Amino acid sequence: MFLKRRRMATFVAGLGLCLGLSAALHASPADNDLKVPKLEFRDVKLDNGLRVILVPEHSAPVYAIDVCYNVGSRNERPGRTGFAHLFEHMMFQGSENIGKGEHFSLVLNNGGGMNGTTNEDRTTYFEELPKNQLDLGLYLEADRMRALNITQANLDNQRNAVQEERRQGIDNQPYGRASLDLDNLSYDNFAYKHSTIGSMTDLNAATIQDVKDFFRIYYAPNNAVLTLVGDFNPDEALEKVKKYFGTIPSQPEPPKVLLDEEPHYGERRETIYDPLARLPEIDMAYHIPAGNTPDNYAVQQLAIVLGQGESSRFYQHLVKEKQLASDVSVQPDARIGVSQLYFSANPRPGVKVENLEKGMDEEIAAAVKDGVTPEELAKAKTQLLRQFIERRRSDLFTAILIGNYAVYFNDPNLINTVLNKENAVTLEQVNAATKKFLERDQRAVVITLPAAEDASKAPKAGQ
Amino acid sequence: MTEVKVLLARLFTDEMRIGESTMRKQLWKSTTSALFAFALFAGLILISPIARAQQGQDKSAPLSQVQRLNRAPVNKEILRVQLPRPDVQTLPNGLTLVLQEDHKLPTIAFTMWIRPGQLADPADLPGLASFTAEMLREGTERRTSAQIAQEVDQLGATLDASSRFGASFTSVNASGLISSRAQILDLMSDVVLHPAFPASELEKYKQRQEASLEERLANPNFLGQRAFRRVIYGDTPMAIASPTKESIEKLSAEDLKRFHQQHFIPGNTILGVTGDFKSAEIGALVEKYFGAWKGAAEAPLSFPTSIDPQPTKITLVDRPGSVQTYIVGGDRGVRRVDPDYYKLVVMNQVLGGGPQARLFLDLREEHSLTYGSYSRFNADIYPGDWQAFAPVRTPVTGDAMERFVYEFKRINDEPVRPSELDEAHRSIIAGFALSLEQPVQLLSDWLTVQYYGLPMDYWDKYPDRISEIDAAGVQAAAKKFVDLNHMQWVAVGDRKQIQDLLAKYGSVVAVDVTGKAEN
Repeated sequence: MFLKRRRMATFVAGLGLCLGLSAALHASPADNDLKVPKLEFRDVKLDNGLRVILVPEHSAPVYAIDVCYNVGSRNERPGRTGFAHLFEHMMFQGSENIGKGEHFSLVLNNGGGMNGTTNEDRTTYFEELPKNQLDLGLYLEADRMRALNITQANLDNQRNAVQEERRQGIDNQPYGRASLDLDNLSYDNFAYKHSTIGSMTDLNAATIQDVKDFFRIYYAPNNAVLTLVGDFNPDEALEKVKKYFGTIPSQPEPPKVLLDEEPHYGERRETIYDPLARLPEIDMAYHIPAGNTPDNYAVQQLAIVLGQGESSRFYQHLVKEKQLASDVSVQPDARIGVSQLYFSANPRPGVKVENLEKGMDEEIAAAVKDGVTPEELAKAKTQLLRQFIERRRSDLFTAILIGNYAVYFNDPNLINTVLNKENAVTLEQVNAATKKFLERDQRAVVITLPAAEDASKAPKAGQ
Repeated sequence: MTEVKVLLARLFTDEMRIGESTMRKQLWKSTTSALFAFALFAGLILISPIARAQQGQDKSAPLSQVQRLNRAPVNKEILRVQLPRPDVQTLPNGLTLVLQEDHKLPTIAFTMWIRPGQLADPADLPGLASFTAEMLREGTERRTSAQIAQEVDQLGATLDASSRFGASFTSVNASGLISSRAQILDLMSDVVLHPAFPASELEKYKQRQEASLEERLANPNFLGQRAFRRVIYGDTPMAIASPTKESIEKLSAEDLKRFHQQHFIPGNTILGVTGDFKSAEIGALVEKYFGAWKGAAEAPLSFPTSIDPQPTKITLVDRPGSVQTYIVGGDRGVRRVDPDYYKLVVMNQVLGGGPQARLFLDLREEHSLTYGSYSRFNADIYPGDWQAFAPVRTPVTGDAMERFVYEFKRINDEPVRPSELDEAHRSIIAGFALSLEQPVQLLSDWLTVQYYGLPMDYWDKYPDRISEIDAAGVQAAAKKFVDLNHMQWVAVGDRKQIQDLLAKYGSVVAVDVTGKAEN
């Protein structure tokens, strides 16, 4: 699924913030009686380099398996954009012992759930199943790691599915292009500059050899983390993991990708005329430091104060008081490399887009000048505490997060410590980070206008 | 960060299909509620128990298109689980409580269903129930809108109210840390019992609604679902899928007060609570905050128990520039208590209940026409709808219609094979285990039992009711609900490019995005 940035940002908040979260449980003074048991886990490396994390959790008779590969669209080269995600689709087309379409069928017809998802930094695959199907999940993941069935027919078919996904998620949606254009404008390094969904031209250019090479280089056990969370005995589970995964051969280290990003010299700006939009939209992005750094944690809290929750500044000031916007969002991400703080807003009908942008700028300027208040920061921290707890609700959520933490930051224990890191963030840090990173010269802005406002500039749909 | 997935994460709910922008707003309004959207983020494709019951997801595959090597180790035994039973009580004022202890995490969640919801909208004020629900948070006799927002966020809590279009009740949901239970109840009871509907907030709300409606008119799913409801339910409250420009303009504080006074009464209400508490203790706390609420149950609205099928036709919603056509084909369905309910669950599972079901395998995996095609149904106190759908690229609109027709014929004409039927049963029954770690969903299962007057052993017997549906039952449901002579099609797309492609499948009526007939 490819969602428009703003909507995506919302849905990803949980994960983004987790990646950008940290800390301990004494966060909120009122909540001393809250107990969230520390997650005890085993962290083992098999001889072939596969990192295995086992987390027994017996509250429901289910388990989750997540295999997180250390590859995302950042690893793609020019001319082959969209490949990591296209490859993800190939992973469901069958392997040596699993027929085409059989994966969906085996998981769903045994009461489970599954999906695969790709972003800039990683590709992850997961299933959640009743506990009596432990072998099934392990077998499915091991078989495709060992011997994916790569054929021209599968490639052609999934290329079409991905192109439909792009049409559905971007080309046929209002503001679909804005999210792509914003990263393209904001980043100079190709790794994050290009979109994960990729261009239609590049998708068409992908060859069977590309698929084979990609599989060999990136889908090796030594480039993956397997996380199991749920109702199992860890000794038995580890034996099964060894049985299914232990003989998959390791591969040479994949090439490293540099994620450096030079500072901008001046604001970057672009206007899109969108034939499907009925209202304008403003999208902005500021560079912020990588995830799991003190500055990134600080910006996560700033974002809560500015734009998350109905009591946030953007909502109260821009939507409610000044009635400039019908919709606002403020969402940071937490990548392996240079990350972004996104702002997005739609003017309410009748409001000039310039006036809304001015209103947003005033809010940002006020935050830079005066900082956030201790009360606002305390509120943000309570919300983070709640998130920290909810993250443990389902085995699947926990498994995916641990896999992410391991691949992104080499620290699966962030599942336990992220709240401590968040709580360690001080008011001074938040205010210093605001001053440092919310600099106008460092931002990119994409304005979307309904094409009806200037039909001559309407782009051809789907380009 | 952008995420792309092998399958579209789908919420089989009206919020998603009809009010996507509403959904989005509700999510961003609260940081914490974004977490609850995680399943959506992760795009977990599964068959959830209630979802399985209510909306159906998922099922078997056209055997011809799945290559079954049968080498993976599958435990043939279905892990049967019993859903923990809640404590159900009725307070002296008629408020029904459903209390479910869940001690995994130090949290609490409240779900309140208040009859009759959007189905009570007056004909000249579509959206009134939804307006009323959404204005609850905008000020009470004791608190301003900003104070409510502030208190909720300070607690790390969530509080929202909505009246889903097409649903027969308004929901008020709240959640937070167990240590804030009293404060959350205080807030929740304040907005439900004493909303003030302040004029200044109403004006702002109306502006936001106007923008939101405008935004939704750009959304193909919204346009398709709105047209579909209109086709199935004609000129009745069941057809309403959104407010109108006129109703937003016309809305007054008196309308809201009247609706609230008439319908927000304890006799109309079920309150479910799940979390880290002792039932006796939380029951007393609820009584403290809701005990003084007065009002006996209203007589339920009356609806037809069935709706007559209509001759097949195609409604084309013209969306110039659309690079896809969003196709919906369906018909009226059943009430939640209809004897045909279980047959429809299993039939839907086989046909379009997930990525292993026939439609997905045919339209996506075999013919590459779409990113995903599924079917689903709703059942309420009135006959809901059943529908199959897919967004397809514009030039293959005709090919997609052909595949739909092929699969609809096939499920009518050929009895489903035993292995495929067995998989449909398994997927539905085995899915209950996963629901045990989703307390809010579990709670909603039990509210369903209360709300529709089902017996307390309903979920214990449910797996057997499903297993009893045989090939003849599936076929009977297909003949009744997947009837090509009565299929109602909606296609949202670029009229210039698709009208001729559609004409082959029935008479085409074109409307613009506002629903007005085009020539």
